[in-house]
Amino acid sequence: MLRNFKEMRIEDYPVCAISLDTTLLNKTGTWRIFRPVYENKIPPCRDACPAGEDIQKYIYLSQKGNYEEGYQTILKNNPFPSITGRVCFHPCEDACNRREYDEPIAIHHIERFLGDYGLEKVEKKNPTRRKAETEKKVAVIGSGPAGLSFAYYLAQEGFGVTILEKESLPGGLLRTGIPAYRLPKEVLDKEIRKLEKLGVKFITNTTFPKNLSLSDLKTKYHILFFGTGAQKERKLEVPNEDADGVLEGISFLKIANLGKRIKIGKKVLVIGGGNTAVDCARVVKRLGKDVTILYRRTKEEMPASPEEIEGAEEEGIKIFYLVAPVKVLISRQRKVKGLECIRMKLGTPDSSGRRRPIPIKGSNFTLPADTIIKAIGESVELEILPKEIERTNWGIKTDSTGMTNLKNILAGGDCVTGPQTVVKAIASGRRAAERVLWEMKNKELPKEEKKEIVSFARLNTFYFEKRPRVKMSKIPLRERKTFKEINLGYNEEELLIETERCFSCGICNQCDNCYIFCPDLAVKKKEDGYKFDYDYCKGCGVCAQECPRYAITMYPEGEL
Amino acid sequence: MKLNEITGVKKVVTGNHAVSYGVLLARAQVIAAYPITPQTQIVELLSEFCATGLLKAKFIKVESEHSAMAACVGASISGVRAFTATSAQGLALMHEMLHWAVGARLPIVVANVNRAMGPGWSVWTDQNDSLSQRDVGMIQLYCESNQEVLDTTIQSFKIAEKVLLPVMVILDAFVLSHTSEPVDIPTLEEVDAFLPPYQPRHYLDINNPQAFGGLTSPDHYYEIRMKIEIAHQEALKVAKKVDEEFKERFGRGYGLIEPYYCDDAKVILVTSGTITGTAREVIDEERRKGRKVGLLKIRLFRPTPKDEIKEVLLRADKIAVIDRNISFGHSGIFAQEIKSIFYNAYRKPPIFDFIIGLGGRDVRSEDIKEIIDYVFKKDYPTEDAIFKGVRL
Amino acid sequence: MRRWQEASRTEELMNSGHFACPGCGGALAMRLVLKALGKKTIVVIPACCWSIIDGPFPLHCLRVPVYHTAFETAAIMASGIKAGMDIQGKEDIKVLAFAGDGGTADIGIQALSGACERNDDIIYACYDNEAYMNTGIQRSSATPLLAWTTTTPEGTPKGEPKKNMVEIVAAHRIPYTATASVGFPEDLITKFKKAKEIKGLKYIHIYAPCPTGWRMAPDLLIKVSQLATETCIFPLYEIEDGIRYRINYFPKEKLPVREYIKIQGRFSHLTEKEIGLIQKKVDFEWDLLNKKAKAQF
Repeated sequence: MLRNFKEMRIEDYPVCAISLDTTLLNKTGTWRIFRPVYENKIPPCRDACPAGEDIQKYIYLSQKGNYEEGYQTILKNNPFPSITGRVCFHPCEDACNRREYDEPIAIHHIERFLGDYGLEKVEKKNPTRRKAETEKKVAVIGSGPAGLSFAYYLAQEGFGVTILEKESLPGGLLRTGIPAYRLPKEVLDKEIRKLEKLGVKFITNTTFPKNLSLSDLKTKYHILFFGTGAQKERKLEVPNEDADGVLEGISFLKIANLGKRIKIGKKVLVIGGGNTAVDCARVVKRLGKDVTILYRRTKEEMPASPEEIEGAEEEGIKIFYLVAPVKVLISRQRKVKGLECIRMKLGTPDSSGRRRPIPIKGSNFTLPADTIIKAIGESVELEILPKEIERTNWGIKTDSTGMTNLKNILAGGDCVTGPQTVVKAIASGRRAAERVLWEMKNKELPKEEKKEIVSFARLNTFYFEKRPRVKMSKIPLRERKTFKEINLGYNEEELLIETERCFSCGICNQCDNCYIFCPDLAVKKKEDGYKFDYDYCKGCGVCAQECPRYAITMYPEGEL
Repeated sequence: MKLNEITGVKKVVTGNHAVSYGVLLARAQVIAAYPITPQTQIVELLSEFCATGLLKAKFIKVESEHSAMAACVGASISGVRAFTATSAQGLALMHEMLHWAVGARLPIVVANVNRAMGPGWSVWTDQNDSLSQRDVGMIQLYCESNQEVLDTTIQSFKIAEKVLLPVMVILDAFVLSHTSEPVDIPTLEEVDAFLPPYQPRHYLDINNPQAFGGLTSPDHYYEIRMKIEIAHQEALKVAKKVDEEFKERFGRGYGLIEPYYCDDAKVILVTSGTITGTAREVIDEERRKGRKVGLLKIRLFRPTPKDEIKEVLLRADKIAVIDRNISFGHSGIFAQEIKSIFYNAYRKPPIFDFIIGLGGRDVRSEDIKEIIDYVFKKDYPTEDAIFKGVRL
Repeated sequence: MRRWQEASRTEELMNSGHFACPGCGGALAMRLVLKALGKKTIVVIPACCWSIIDGPFPLHCLRVPVYHTAFETAAIMASGIKAGMDIQGKEDIKVLAFAGDGGTADIGIQALSGACERNDDIIYACYDNEAYMNTGIQRSSATPLLAWTTTTPEGTPKGEPKKNMVEIVAAHRIPYTATASVGFPEDLITKFKKAKEIKGLKYIHIYAPCPTGWRMAPDLLIKVSQLATETCIFPLYEIEDGIRYRINYFPKEKLPVREYIKIQGRFSHLTEKEIGLIQKKVDFEWDLLNKKAKAQF
């Protein structure tokens, strides 16, 4: 075209230098040395989530008020957002880049909102499925988070799934280990109802292998999944540990959570620093007793989640730090009457990275008590597992998909990893289901994304206002005498404010920065985002620099 | 002031006011000007015309002549008839924008009152200010009388708008600008019939967003410049036709050049501006004495009616060019121009160049007579320029 | 996240393929200004980078008419066009003079002052890149103190502070004077929309960095603009009738000028002492501006 202009004769010219065409004829893309590319990356929250939830996406959808799609987004990785939204230890929030700016996004509050929304508004619409669509029958041993998750993803694909549970009600640790003030039973029941609607059968009061042996199961089912958990309380290894009045944390919680009567004294000591210990203490408090937690390190090293510790403190539970038990003091009837303790100091870090507690000689003292609850950790009941299954020092041995050494037998959750978290168990259940789907239905295993994880330094925070995280409302302290749920959940307004804080690290959310700042009008809007007009983009890189979330990458021209 | 009292009548007016009347009758739409002696009365009267509503124009009282011309360029490219007036230093300051008006092909009319350039400060007439603008590409018309000033002002708009070139109407400082003469002022209706409203052929149009005057590479510049040259050739014909039409309507015509007693002349004087009037009288007297001397008045300096000039001047044996201007280091500017016309002619009459009356010094009848005597005596010029009247 | 309003949804009146350097602040400024002014705009461009950017004959970048004019005539050319439009009854057409800092603060200041004094009904935008960039980075009176340019080379950086055009223009008591920045598109668009509705002369001084001339990577265009405002080197404010000052943007936390200076090659020779001197001057000006903004009438 330009060449044609050069051939113009005098009669072709306008009266003076008046333009005849636009600069669109000038393809400035040829000037480019660097090429911008829209390239979504991995937000640190998603990377940190054991279930790999697409957190940014559901926060974005929530912002737009599209709660249903947000809910469905979670379900792709985690079938039970109402549960994890309450009990997850949310490593996503620890990883959240916003932590370095002001406070991390309250991801699990958002998750809970969507989970509850789903249970209330979405699940009701789902039809109940009576019959399995495939011939393949699946048995799940244990109805904890791993088993439920495994069952969910297979039932969704039409497998006939049966879950065996030794207690009278399904849910495993979710029911027996987590007090209702954190996870109300109705919520758990509603989540389980989802499975029932998918045609999953529950057989309760059935203990493996007492009531059903491995060979029984193998004849009836094609696929087996072990999700038996880790429920053996570890020993204190102090004298008189077997005295009357010394309880195991897990068992104590189970009895309490199943609503059975339990006998405890007026003065209760809980030993341990994990969530089980804190849960025990808060349950005891609700039973109207005086309770003190003893922990051998400081608050900083305490493995229980900070919210739980804070909750316990609010409720008036005393926590003695740097204290370890030495000996249970007993009466003649071998009844607990106190605990001899020793004070500790912190030494050098141990293998867990935490500083090792060292007893201070001669610092012994005694605490009066009539009940002592030991909650210093659990382990897998290896003895109930079939002998044929290969195992590690702490549990069942599987590959990364949960496959054991035995054909069509998979395992997941704490029985594989030792005591871990609900979300990890859910993730392992899903991965095992994906493995089954790959084998049985030729469904491709989800590939691990080899994308860059967005660090804080990569963000352009100029466009964000500092704003504190929206605190979740709680019931007042005076109402915390029952097992009523403490956290009230976000309302829509709170949800909007909180979701709008999200940086959307690495993921374009159509903020228009690239579009607005492009001096060359080379960013074109599309319905679902933008595209570069490489005919004209000069590669200045302003778009990438001003993208608040690092969703644009600059590549040397020709490298892609 | 009422329109029917000031138009359609014969009035005694100064050259400056003759310009103002011309602009009024031409219905200029935007006027931008800056005051400079001896031009001020032009804009004063125009201001009054605008203030009283006789002339429906926007008068931008600019802060410099450069801006005056720039404002005219802007107004003209917006699609309206634009006018400014200036003199000497003001014209020099305008210089850049004169180029702009030409390059942008805008039919702006500029009245320039010929005044000598400083320093030292002078307010009196000579032609160096306008002749310094020779090469910008404007049409230049030099006037002899106040009537011609008015008539030429009206004609200029028509010529300018036909060929899309700016036109400079030139009158001598004081000799015309401040001297009153009886002038026939036509009616607005008569002028309307002669000069229809301006119909721009290129203008800023929001419905046709074009760029005007952008960077023009060597690939295109020459062709676009060539169009200016072609327009100048066209202007020769157009100016002639416009003058003829004017004569038909108003009974007054001036020609591009005016030969006076040239048919049998042995010597022809070449003049421009008000020296022509003085020379005319001297010629009359000489003719009465029987001396075969003629006069050629150059009215249209650019584009140069070369063929017409040549045709007239070839009748004479010798030519005397009277220059109220000087191109330092060379000679008088009109003389150079006339000489250049003859370089390729089959006969080259000797051309004498008299530089006279710089800075408004009086050019008297005696001076003209002496020039005639000198030329009759000499066969050919012995010097490039004769500095007439200077005290050496 | 700040949300875009006008900047996102307004019509584009500029084409790609223009001849600006990568990361050109002047190009972006024009784009944003036209978004605000709309289709019924005529743009006057004196000699400046935009003489090139709009495209050589026979090309044209803007979707509105452009009149290229001589260096010192931006304001009066706009006035002339406006007069012509008005007399034709096309009063709804806005005329924008879009000039660089040299064309405004140096060679064009006379015509600008004239137009201001007459209160001609035009919008005058100065896109300030703080030097003669089109000719190859020569100092203008808008070049800041101690900056390097090709005519204030190493060893003799510019010894004089930047000419304060906003104050000069405001002293004419025109109805609207404002500063704007390509780093703050929403503010810029709001101001031009406001200007569009005001009769008389509107002057808006746009901060439009030149990565080429400032010796920095082109992708820093917006960052450096925002830093200029966050450090109070280039505050965003407006003045009504030349007397009523309003500061439109207060930095989140006033950053030290060093943050702004350190990313630009044209300041790379500065010593700590010199940076301190600049900081002092900036603090003084910011304080003064705040005092003016607080003045009651």
